[in-house]
Amino acid sequence: MIYLDNAATSFHKPAEVPQAMLRAMGRCANPGRGGYPAAMEAAETVFTCREMAGKFFHCSPEQVVFTSNCTHGLNMAIFTLVKPGGKVLISGFEHNAVTRPLHALNAQLLVAGRRLFDWEDTLTQFEEGLKKGAEVAVFTHVSNVFGYILPVEQMAALCRQYRVPFVVDAAQSAGTQDIDFAALGADFMAMPGHKGLLGPQGTGILLCGRMPKPLLYGGTGSQSMLQQMPDFLPDGGEAGTVNVPGIAGLWAGMRYVNRVGLPQIRQREQRQLSRCVVGLKKLGYRVFDGPHQAAVVSFVPSVDCQDLADRFSGQGIAVRAGLHCAPLAHESAGTLETGTVRVSFGHDCSDRQTAFFLQKAEVLR
Amino acid sequence: MKTDYITFRSITPAQQAQRILRQAGVDTILQRTPRHMEQQGCGYCLRIRPQDRSRAVSLLQQSGIQFRKLYTEDQGLQEVLL
Repeated sequence: MIYLDNAATSFHKPAEVPQAMLRAMGRCANPGRGGYPAAMEAAETVFTCREMAGKFFHCSPEQVVFTSNCTHGLNMAIFTLVKPGGKVLISGFEHNAVTRPLHALNAQLLVAGRRLFDWEDTLTQFEEGLKKGAEVAVFTHVSNVFGYILPVEQMAALCRQYRVPFVVDAAQSAGTQDIDFAALGADFMAMPGHKGLLGPQGTGILLCGRMPKPLLYGGTGSQSMLQQMPDFLPDGGEAGTVNVPGIAGLWAGMRYVNRVGLPQIRQREQRQLSRCVVGLKKLGYRVFDGPHQAAVVSFVPSVDCQDLADRFSGQGIAVRAGLHCAPLAHESAGTLETGTVRVSFGHDCSDRQTAFFLQKAEVLR
Repeated sequence: MKTDYITFRSITPAQQAQRILRQAGVDTILQRTPRHMEQQGCGYCLRIRPQDRSRAVSLLQQSGIQFRKLYTEDQGLQEVLL
């Protein structure tokens, strides 16, 4: 299969990822609870990953809270910062993982920046939103539908200037874009472990610039005499046993990304993005491309998007069609009615795969 | 044998402390905190040699790693007030 759905999850993991998971399953008990060797090995496995994530994103290990996915982390962050009915500033390209928790809180949404690949529009509108009294800002780093890389450093600087706490959704950027959590000064940044970081599904990280309110309450292996959750990191955000095999796999995935190098992976993906955009345009598809684009591209065919994705599937090519859980992004781009077909490249993409995809795109249109 | 215990509220700061001390050449053993040293229940500690005490404490204070208490054990257990 030619896998071009890396924005949903990376699929072809480096071999060391399942190896690390298997090893953990055979050797690790519950971390941070017991004192016997298998418990201590589990604790070492978890801490090693925490430490690596801290170095990767420029924060201390205890600021790294393991979650079950990016959505989990976003929920923790949003329910910590947003009061019911509060005024919240978001970008025009947010995923339901952001908008649904905000809807559940009955938040008043200020949507800033609807124009794709236009930093000036994004920043102008964003500042307007801050001036209108936003209490909290939540924004994605990279649109999961269109690959638009938002100017998060400048947005973060504006939030700091207006003293508005903010959350960054790094679902598509962790493991593909440079991220400096300390420099951003974000209150929270949520990310999945299973996309660019090449870990397994069921893993995620919430980087914490402040103490989150827990979504789950329970055992943490610390302060067991107290009935309140610990008020320190990471324990306060990690009730219950963490996913040790998953975290072992996540560590192996991050180690792979470190070894190969983020710039090298990005360069490889960008090459395929360019080839794909040019090829699809030549074939007459309506392609959404522009500056500041990660290796994700959406296009609209003349036939139904899902029909086309099914035809690709029949040819051994995995792409995703529809709204990609981000109706707001489609509303911004004017594709809410049709949806799009999305192609997203990963660390192992190649000229040969892109050529095969384009060959089928010509035949199947 | 004389042993010192540096106690932590949970395993993560204990692990961070162990990394820092190891890099500085201070030998440690990470273990569960004995119950009589941990009033809040459940925690981890580092066992160190008493002769490393002042260096270890200084290194942790410089690194901003929070620890709970320091104990020394010879024939009995005593808290060392810093």
